[in-house]
Amino acid sequence: MRRALTTGPVALRLLLSLSALFALQSCASAPAPLAQAQPQPTESRIVIFHSNDIHGKIDNFAKVAAIVDAERKGGADVFYFCAGDNFTGNPVIDQYDPPGEPILALLNRLGVNLMCPGNHEFDYGLDNLRKFEAEGRFSLISANIEALPGILPLLRPSAVLTTRSGIKIAVFGLIQVEAGNGLPSTHPDKVKGLRFSYPFARAMEMKKLRAGNDVLIGLTHIGYDQDLLLAGMMPELDVIIGGHSHTGVDPAEMANGVLVAQAGSDNRYLGRLELLVRNGRVIKKKGTLIDLKGPMAEAADVKEMIVRFNQNPAFARVIATAPFAIEGNDALGCLMTDAMRWAHGLDIAFQNGGGIRLNRLSEKITLKDVYTLDPFGNQVVEIAMNAEEIRSLIAVSFAKGHDIDLQVSGITYVVRTDSDWHIQEILLRAPDGSPLPEDRIYKVGVSSYVASSYNFVHKDPGRALNAITADALIRFLEGGPDLSVYRGIQRAYQDPPALRTRY
Amino acid sequence: MQIKVNGVAIGIFSGARVKDVLRKYSRSELKLVKKNKKMICDRHGHEVGLDGELSGGEEFVIHECGKPESRS
Repeated sequence: MRRALTTGPVALRLLLSLSALFALQSCASAPAPLAQAQPQPTESRIVIFHSNDIHGKIDNFAKVAAIVDAERKGGADVFYFCAGDNFTGNPVIDQYDPPGEPILALLNRLGVNLMCPGNHEFDYGLDNLRKFEAEGRFSLISANIEALPGILPLLRPSAVLTTRSGIKIAVFGLIQVEAGNGLPSTHPDKVKGLRFSYPFARAMEMKKLRAGNDVLIGLTHIGYDQDLLLAGMMPELDVIIGGHSHTGVDPAEMANGVLVAQAGSDNRYLGRLELLVRNGRVIKKKGTLIDLKGPMAEAADVKEMIVRFNQNPAFARVIATAPFAIEGNDALGCLMTDAMRWAHGLDIAFQNGGGIRLNRLSEKITLKDVYTLDPFGNQVVEIAMNAEEIRSLIAVSFAKGHDIDLQVSGITYVVRTDSDWHIQEILLRAPDGSPLPEDRIYKVGVSSYVASSYNFVHKDPGRALNAITADALIRFLEGGPDLSVYRGIQRAYQDPPALRTRY
Repeated sequence: MQIKVNGVAIGIFSGARVKDVLRKYSRSELKLVKKNKKMICDRHGHEVGLDGELSGGEEFVIHECGKPESRS
């Protein structure tokens, strides 16, 4: 643990601070409210703030700072834990140079003590996370991540924090892993050099921390249902502070004697736990969420940081230069689907017309242009499909407006209709113009929007590739493709052509 | 994977988020949740965010805001 916590004679301060203790109410079925209990000299009140799944939503951190700062002036032992997924979800922050810098600066200012990495902590790459680890004034903990030498040298399974009165708080971290590939939900390339094990087995090994420590906490990023299972298996725990499922647990729930907390997502809530420790054991505990909506006190210095970070100069960076403006749904859709197919090794990619939010990309294409063109943060979803299933997708899309909706890469297609726009046939062609082989299974990429809102036939339910569509376009454009091909390009046709103009 | 929304089983791609399964269940209900006119809660009665990551077998219920059902 790199953040030294003060210890020493604090009996007087403790006695003073214990006046606030009378407000503490237990969520356990205690026979008498804590407010009526006579505090003993050996008792200590611990306040732990917690956040999870911030996903780059920094705007409420000025309110968080004001709350945490005020609590620290109140005399209790105050800690602040993060239960993962600080990154990814706000393009202005995601695209900061260097990546993650705003989150790092803000967590340092807030005095965060511990953080367990979530699956999205890897989204900016391990080099970035290593920098985050080195420059953060907090410790990264996870018991089910094993890093090869040099990858994340400061990552530990657990940490022990000590209050000023000498109470020892042992905390171990856990991260979610997928049942299929045994990896967290991020792109596999982002976690090379790390080994992950399933969380519960490693959690059981953490029972050893119970001995010699006064408080045992699981700081997890495994989701609320899994936290409840963990509580059922591990009554040695005092508290689980969780993340991943974006669950707002208010008040924190008692399960098998373990207090299970989670603070929603997107910095909409700040979690606040109070523990009363007497003679080496937690005798009272409760958790609530502080709703950060609406006006409340803000820390001026943090507000200034937020304003500065939101004016991200990197957002205006030119990432590609085209020989001409790329205009219209056909050209822009071809560009977007080419990017998706290239970035994820797909055979075919589709982009719905409603997801193309610009009519024109000027010659100098900036990051801001990309997020304006594709602002929704949709994931890329891969579905294994045969030709008939692809026709089903196209047919469903066409029926929405009797018009071409889906732009495409990897094939061209023609929708032949009668005079009432009833589909007569859909011709699929390979890039060389030959009929698309009917006996093959194709790796087809669509956005999560299309995958969840277009009711088409497909046996394979598909899988999200843990990447958003805009990122594919950024990577594609940064790779310096030949953008001259997008002048007048068209791959999806209606026969006879639609009478109305779509843009 | 299979997720239940208001008791209806929904097949959805793995790695989907709450908003994806809600969109597949009912786009109009998703719009109401986005406008904070309704809220979506897990099987325990806790509100979940629309970007929450799903695991197979989860169940959700859509409520009018301020009227969550009693927790199980």
